[in-house]
Amino acid sequence: MSDIEIVESLKRDLGAKALEITNPDRRRIFLKVAAADLVPAVTLLRDRYDCAYLATITGLDKGETFEILYHFASPVASITVRTQVPRSEPRVASICAVIPGAVLYEREIQEMFGLTVEGIPDARRLNLPDDWPDSEYPLRKDWKFVRPVEVIPGGKS
Amino acid sequence: MNFKIPIGPQHPALKEPISLRMTVEGEVITDADIRLGYNHRGLEKLAEDRNWVQNIYLTERICGICSHSHATCYVQGVEKLMEIVPPKRGLYIRYLVSELERVHSHLLWLGVAGHEAGFDSFFMYTWRDREIVMDLLELVSGNRVHYAMNAIGGVRRDLDEGQKAKILEGMATLRKRSEYYFQIGANEPSFVARIAGVGMLTKEQAVALCAVGPVARASGVARDVRKEDPYAVYDELEWDLVTSDSCDVLGRVVVRVKELLESYKMIEQMVRRLPEGDIVAKAPRRPKPGEVLSRYEAPRGENTHFIQSNGTDKPERLKVRAPTLANYPATVVMLRKGFIADIPLIFAAIDPCICCAERAVTLVDGRSGEETVVRMSDLRRRSLARPANAPAKGKAAWPF
Repeated sequence: MSDIEIVESLKRDLGAKALEITNPDRRRIFLKVAAADLVPAVTLLRDRYDCAYLATITGLDKGETFEILYHFASPVASITVRTQVPRSEPRVASICAVIPGAVLYEREIQEMFGLTVEGIPDARRLNLPDDWPDSEYPLRKDWKFVRPVEVIPGGKS
Repeated sequence: MNFKIPIGPQHPALKEPISLRMTVEGEVITDADIRLGYNHRGLEKLAEDRNWVQNIYLTERICGICSHSHATCYVQGVEKLMEIVPPKRGLYIRYLVSELERVHSHLLWLGVAGHEAGFDSFFMYTWRDREIVMDLLELVSGNRVHYAMNAIGGVRRDLDEGQKAKILEGMATLRKRSEYYFQIGANEPSFVARIAGVGMLTKEQAVALCAVGPVARASGVARDVRKEDPYAVYDELEWDLVTSDSCDVLGRVVVRVKELLESYKMIEQMVRRLPEGDIVAKAPRRPKPGEVLSRYEAPRGENTHFIQSNGTDKPERLKVRAPTLANYPATVVMLRKGFIADIPLIFAAIDPCICCAERAVTLVDGRSGEETVVRMSDLRRRSLARPANAPAKGKAAWPF
């Protein structure tokens, strides 16, 4: 299936659910859906477009909204599903029921962006330490790293 | 009686030291849990604070074994964003180094697999031969680990005739030796019996858990970015995708040995067909706003970089997914129903780094909480003694 055929087929299958489909480069397709349509869209991609392989999930801080990108790959194309959630209510549904391999990436966006992934089978932190403060999300744009002042006992003050 | 065995997290060689907490019943692992983040360096945040050129050197330091992979994945994405086409000669040299790196990584891994299976002469042979390719990499780039070959728009160093001849000579030696190891593997029943049936991962599981690289290919999933999404030079080369359907550590060894032979083929083709011309194109200081998804087949599986530009001289976002992370969910499945003695072997089958350091393993008695500290060497001794306890699979055969 060529890129144009995939785009046309996605438009047919998703109808009004597909808010935007772009094909910026060879074998790269970006599909935008509303957050409520995420799980049906992912299920469709898995069943009809051979996209069982999720490469990763990227979170983006866009100020008022968070954008979440699900990078899928089939043998013929890389299809990225993007969705947006408001910063005031950062909630998104888990896709682990459809793609079991997504759990690590969902854990990562939870801790890095402070998103709540609803229905995630394992909500623990992935990379951050256990004593990390609860309301600090490092990949948000307004989070800045402040290096703590190192105090050497007996050293010069 | 249930025991919980924590393994790790201290092992200094890997970029992601992991802690595995294994629940065991007797010798059989019933469940495994992974804890990550002991070496999380906040690299994605850091990349937003560095300019496009500085980030080449930053991404090169993500991994010490496949350093060229991350830098190349990043650079090919940035080139798309900047809308520059690198000259053919530059691309050939860049992916020549990629394949040399794959050879060194696979040889390293094969040695570790042999060592963990108690076949130390295999380890010594492959690591001796790895020096051939390490010397070639040093000859080409000046360095053994961080090659620093990439520039935006091409590579930084050219190849001359002497270097080309040395590479061809090295490949001829390596091919002969690899074929010989093939024969050894085929005629060494205790080695084959030790790794057959260990760390099973069915094709369905590999697909569902999004496994990548040789782990996926050893489970019969023909997933290789160089074939699916042939970037740069790979559609101009003649080579075959290697898969195996035995789904165990034996399959992972077979896939890597065969991939070595394919890599030698590709390296020879690239050296012989090396086009004339420039090695680097001039790159602008900053790209237009945009985003790109860059994929690259590293020795351990697919690298994915998502790069977003906002038009300034620094990236808005750089998302990095290394192949090892993608294989962790599959690791948990492989460990289940395995033996404690198989832990080093199964780890080695995914990633060599956990096995290259001596480290302490604590055995916790589930009821009394009493702890005994076991060194990795003891665990390995158990691994070697394991065929004596459970008889080797007599019918296992090297699948060639």
